[in-house]
Amino acid sequence: MPELDPDRLDVANELKSQIALEDTLTPIQARSFVRGLQTAWDVPTIRWSAAESRIQLHDARRLLDAAAIFRRIEGASSTNAILCYRRAGELLEWLGRAHDELTTFVPLELLAAASYQLGGLPAMSAALLTKVRLDSRGKRLYASFLRANFDEVIRTVTMFWRDHIDIADREASERLLDDDGEDKATWYFTVELVRTLGAIADALRRGDEPRLDRALLKLAALDKMAVRTLNDDASALVALLYQVAIAYRDASIYTPVRELGAINPERAPRLETFARTQFNRQRGILWTSQRHGIARLIEESSFALCTPTGSGKTLVANLALVKELLLRAEEDPAPLALYLVPSRALAGEVEAKLTAELGRDLIVTGLYGGTDWGVTDYWIDADRPTVLIATVEKADALMRYLGPLLLRRLRLLIVDEAHQVIPADDERTQADFAEHSNRSIRLEGFVSRLLAQSPKIVRIALTAVAGGAASPVARWIEDREDAQAVGTRYRSTRQIVGIFETSHGNSGRMLLELMNGRSLFVRGRDDPVYLRLGIPPMPELSAERRHSVYRFNELDVLWTALHLINEDRRILISVMQQPERTMGWYKDALQFESWQEAQTFEAPDNEEDRARFEETRAACIDYCGENSYELALLDHGIATNHGQMPQRLRRLMTLLIDRGICPITVATATLTEGVNLPFDIIFLTALKRRTYDPVNNTSVETPMSAAEFRNLSGRAGRPGSSNGMEGITLVAIPRRPSSTAPRQIPVQRRQIRALRQDYGALRRRLLAEELEQADVDSPLALLLQGIADRARDLVGLEGDDFLAWLEAAIPSDISDHAGRAETSEDSRLADSVDELDGILLSAIEEIQRLRAGGLEGAAAEEVLVQLWRRTFSAYAAVQEDWLERAFVRRGRAIVDQIYPDANERTRLYQYGFTPYVGRRFEAIAPEMKAVIEGAQDYGGASAEDRFAIFVALGELIAADRGYGFRVRATETDRKLLENWQDVLGWWVLAPGAASPDPEQLRAWQRFVADNIDFRLGVAVGAVVACAWSDSAGDPLAVPSLDAWRETTELPWFGFWARELLRWGTLDPFVAFALSQGLAQTRHSAAARRAAFEAWLQAEYDDLDAEDFIDPQRFLAWERSLPQPERAAGGGNRVGVELIGTTGERGLYRVVPIVTNDTINWIDAAGYVLARSSRDDLPFRGLFHRQDFELHTGDGAPYVGRSFAG
Amino acid sequence: MHTCPPPHDILAEWLEEHPSTNGKFGHLLLLQRDIDQEAICEALRPYFESAHLDARQVFHADIGIDLHPDAGDGGELPVEYPGCLPSTTRKGLFGEVMAGLVTEGYELVGGHDWRVPIFLFRYHEDARNYLFTLVRNPERTRQTIGRLGSDFIGLLLDDIGAVVRFIAGEAKWRKTLTQSAVDVVMYGKKVTNPAGGPKVHSGKGVWNDVNNDPPVPIGVRQLMRLLQQHDPDGYDAAILSMERALVLRDEEPLPRTDLIIIVGNGAARREQMDCLLPYEEMPEDYTAGHDLQLVEVILKDGEELIDTLYESLWSDGGDDA
Repeated sequence: MPELDPDRLDVANELKSQIALEDTLTPIQARSFVRGLQTAWDVPTIRWSAAESRIQLHDARRLLDAAAIFRRIEGASSTNAILCYRRAGELLEWLGRAHDELTTFVPLELLAAASYQLGGLPAMSAALLTKVRLDSRGKRLYASFLRANFDEVIRTVTMFWRDHIDIADREASERLLDDDGEDKATWYFTVELVRTLGAIADALRRGDEPRLDRALLKLAALDKMAVRTLNDDASALVALLYQVAIAYRDASIYTPVRELGAINPERAPRLETFARTQFNRQRGILWTSQRHGIARLIEESSFALCTPTGSGKTLVANLALVKELLLRAEEDPAPLALYLVPSRALAGEVEAKLTAELGRDLIVTGLYGGTDWGVTDYWIDADRPTVLIATVEKADALMRYLGPLLLRRLRLLIVDEAHQVIPADDERTQADFAEHSNRSIRLEGFVSRLLAQSPKIVRIALTAVAGGAASPVARWIEDREDAQAVGTRYRSTRQIVGIFETSHGNSGRMLLELMNGRSLFVRGRDDPVYLRLGIPPMPELSAERRHSVYRFNELDVLWTALHLINEDRRILISVMQQPERTMGWYKDALQFESWQEAQTFEAPDNEEDRARFEETRAACIDYCGENSYELALLDHGIATNHGQMPQRLRRLMTLLIDRGICPITVATATLTEGVNLPFDIIFLTALKRRTYDPVNNTSVETPMSAAEFRNLSGRAGRPGSSNGMEGITLVAIPRRPSSTAPRQIPVQRRQIRALRQDYGALRRRLLAEELEQADVDSPLALLLQGIADRARDLVGLEGDDFLAWLEAAIPSDISDHAGRAETSEDSRLADSVDELDGILLSAIEEIQRLRAGGLEGAAAEEVLVQLWRRTFSAYAAVQEDWLERAFVRRGRAIVDQIYPDANERTRLYQYGFTPYVGRRFEAIAPEMKAVIEGAQDYGGASAEDRFAIFVALGELIAADRGYGFRVRATETDRKLLENWQDVLGWWVLAPGAASPDPEQLRAWQRFVADNIDFRLGVAVGAVVACAWSDSAGDPLAVPSLDAWRETTELPWFGFWARELLRWGTLDPFVAFALSQGLAQTRHSAAARRAAFEAWLQAEYDDLDAEDFIDPQRFLAWERSLPQPERAAGGGNRVGVELIGTTGERGLYRVVPIVTNDTINWIDAAGYVLARSSRDDLPFRGLFHRQDFELHTGDGAPYVGRSFAG
Repeated sequence: MHTCPPPHDILAEWLEEHPSTNGKFGHLLLLQRDIDQEAICEALRPYFESAHLDARQVFHADIGIDLHPDAGDGGELPVEYPGCLPSTTRKGLFGEVMAGLVTEGYELVGGHDWRVPIFLFRYHEDARNYLFTLVRNPERTRQTIGRLGSDFIGLLLDDIGAVVRFIAGEAKWRKTLTQSAVDVVMYGKKVTNPAGGPKVHSGKGVWNDVNNDPPVPIGVRQLMRLLQQHDPDGYDAAILSMERALVLRDEEPLPRTDLIIIVGNGAARREQMDCLLPYEEMPEDYTAGHDLQLVEVILKDGEELIDTLYESLWSDGGDDA
């Protein structure tokens, strides 16, 4: 080591501390950034001089030199070097963006992209180079290389060799150097560089290590030559290309995949294809966060991966599936993984992605159906490895139903968005606990129970960074106190947060305040950065419409959005609540004469996109109606999405957003819970939700939490999927009142002030959380604390007295209204205790099931202690002892005193309600079962009679808030509850049922989602599940359609009831056709019934009503349908004539160059090795994305395709 | 690394030396005596081989790596460096090595003891075109964006080996050194006068280049990389001073001497002591403010000398590794 290295580090550190501190810009850097942004937005820029540009360019060069020092001394992964590269990338990007006329030899964007690559920000590099238009083939070649788009590199070099086929032979280099041209050395260098980059790209994507090493050796030699013979900039470019190439080699997915392959060499070839496919998707070069995660995966098993959204966690999860499922595939029974996701929408996304990646090897199922298992659930007894993707609610139901089966196969648990285990410490959370609707405690309870039963399964948690979740989640998941999350400080894009100022009579302006969580300032902290948009002001609204400043605000946002999409931007307008109000305002505005010119949307031309659009439109008419806001907005290219929207329509809408078919989206936060969608700009029009508190008769305002905001803004500027370099999240706030009415002005002033205050408070929270890792709360601890607090207030007990009370407290003794989700303090206390009992009883029941024996006394206590130690609460923070004692003592009390009858406990567990609610439900369960049993003729019944069965079921639970229908204490909701049969009729398309008005639609949808689909579905499901379990006997019995009726002794209606409620139909055939994708709407599904019945009549004799809804018949009919013919392949090899090679190696990796009548098969380094006639070519598709191999062994030489893209 | 000392004896035999200095300004006229070219070549050969050794090794290493899939390791090199270079390029290289030879072999302004640890040979002016267009087009007018940088960099080291001064050399070979040819070198090509009248110099000549060179000479970064590759310990202090110069924002620039050297055959009508560049005092055309050394090397049959010299390099098959 050179003696003066410490001095050298001082030099580099001095520069770093001056201009490259993480997330901190110097004033001139901030100005440069803003200037670049202003240029990109085509608005007037701040004052700026050419000298300032030169300073920035010099600084960028200095940073590259400093980075080189850090790397040399501290190693390739030096954090200091990374910071310097990142800032250099930024400075260069901003200069490039502002179109400076700096006389650099190499385009600034290329230097910036290389810097980003070396700074570990590959997504920034890709985003930057995707946007930039380069004017020459060479620049495009380097750009493709620097963004790791190797297919594009191959495409460019094959074009080069097509044009220079005269030098595509082995002697060409010698000829070049021997000729007389004055320029020959330069031309030689250029040709060799093209050869080398082609060889590297091809070797990387095929995982050909020896070839890659040789090509890198060549690039190293060219780099050495460049530093001696080219100018400073050109040699810098070659040096950067070389360093980036080395980084690619080190980050190739082939390396870890081969390490995994060593576990089971038989499967190694499949893993090679997996790796190759990742390159095909431009994900073959792993990001730092992925490398860390995969390293952990290889070394050990369980861990938490803590990186922000968009940093490629999915790939780590996929490899975990490969390791735990694919490499153990020979096990019997076949292994199974459970992939927990926070929402059904995300389940769909994960399922689609996993199916695309691993669908050939694994059964991947998203479990969408209403029933806990259904016609599509062939995974249950499959002998293939399986991934179940489920929300925690669904997983919980499965566990109750099929627990032993599931556990027997379960090898891996993946918890996506695991930070959602952390609850907010507020009144709402306590109320949710009491109403049994809190997500975080459900997640904690389920996972803890699962780990208590199967402590050896491999666990992987994927979590976002912020809010201090990482460490406690890691400890919980790894089950050890010293666990640390795998994570890197990494942002995939730049995040900007600010205000969008709407203004009556003016076009809006953006005020940019935060960048990557830090204040963005230009001249001083008080001097904000405005971007005044050059779009026309919104046409004057009528006085009535301006009367509401919120309406004005939201309309101005839409007006602005309509103008911004011309630049290919995608925009999300995120509403906090009442999306129907916003949609109604929007439908109204879109009809204004003065708005017509601003509307440029046209339905897509592209056949595939067009079909998607039309399918969504049809589903929209089906579920929302011809007059709905949703349809009106969709016809203007505006997708809508909210939690109450029927699942099928939500998925279709999400697809339109994802494919960019609809450039504008209006949605509530449910859209963005973990779903990756591409937006450039997100507008928010409010920052708090208002709910009604019937106890105090007041409205309660809940501000948006920093975590929710961060999650939302994290969707902006997704790398590769959005158009800009940064994601912008703007809170829309009017600059002044929109009304001119004297009485309205002061009201609007107050409302605007409140909006500003909300924003100010959010901004402070964001800044504070960025700086410190807050202590996190845990659900069970909060629940216990809540119970203790209420007990102190209501019963006056604390300490040991409280614990003694808790041991004996029975919900019905605590409150006469227990188990009814009432809001009085005593019923809240009773229901909170019941919530705790639910977790305890489930855990006890499951462990007992596992032991197949009783669990009492000290054994129960030991189990409960172990369970507590498995909870997130036990790991989250330093907990007080009493929590554990309370948990354990209540658990023992459940067995000994509260629910001493073991059979009752089993039944209560099966129902899935909390035990006290379950006990109450038990009173009506037999009646419910009787209704189902009575539906023997459902298959042949009229629609009226079918509807009557559902009404009969609904009536059993409609009046009970505990296990039945539950609405908010608003006038609208109360009315809906009174007329629930109308809503049910509309939902299931009962004859003569009326549809809601557009403004009522969402309230109806909410009722359907909460009460008909969910609560009625759960109640019916509980009865059906019990019918199965009571008779099945053997907990490991595999449910099958064959045995279903016999075992449950129920008619097929019982099988279909939940499914019908989910799809909104009375006809099981319609539910079947929709779930199997055989029809797009309920109407078109119904239209296919005639064909089914004709088939049925032809195939079977003596049909009864049950045959017409027998799922086995449906499946048989489906199998009888003609299968779409697979496109005929044209063969997979072509005979060739060898030229330019002796063929001695037997196998050569080649790329085709297609000319008029000939195919030249070249090595990617530009050597023609073989030739064939174009007429013989059997291959189709994009050749630069495929792999070909030249075989020269025994027999005539031929080229075969080894990877078809 | 370039380690061969300049052949002082043969220089004295070969070139008649006429130095003059005036404060920060120096001028050196070197006139070739009548002497046997072959003997000169033989005597200069070690110095030139030493100057070219690094580039030769790198070039040979590169062409030794054949990416053809059938290629193995090793094998005969198809061509040799610098022999394979075209003659114009070789003349450029000759000028650069002459700059080094003069810097190391003569006392220049300031009387410093210069070191040229390694030679940069940045002759690929077309690279800017070819690297981006990926099309060979020798006819195309050379587009230059700014200049390539100083042809060579020499260092003045202190006791601990730190750089205390740079010398940045600009060498120009012209076949015949007439006043008008030298004026084109110094002031740029003649172009149409936008104001009318006779053609005027474009202003894009050597004076312009040296006056606008950045405080840290272009090429220092490359020299630093070469020293890091070859002898990071031996040149530790020198590398550190170059890093300071390149990285630190508030660093006082290191003092510097500009060297401009023109080499070529004397014009037919030349008088013995004619000078083509100013020699008495600091020319007004030079505004950079550093020390300035001008050198005129007047040869006889220079092209022949260059060809003979370059053909003789490594002609004994000496090992260049």
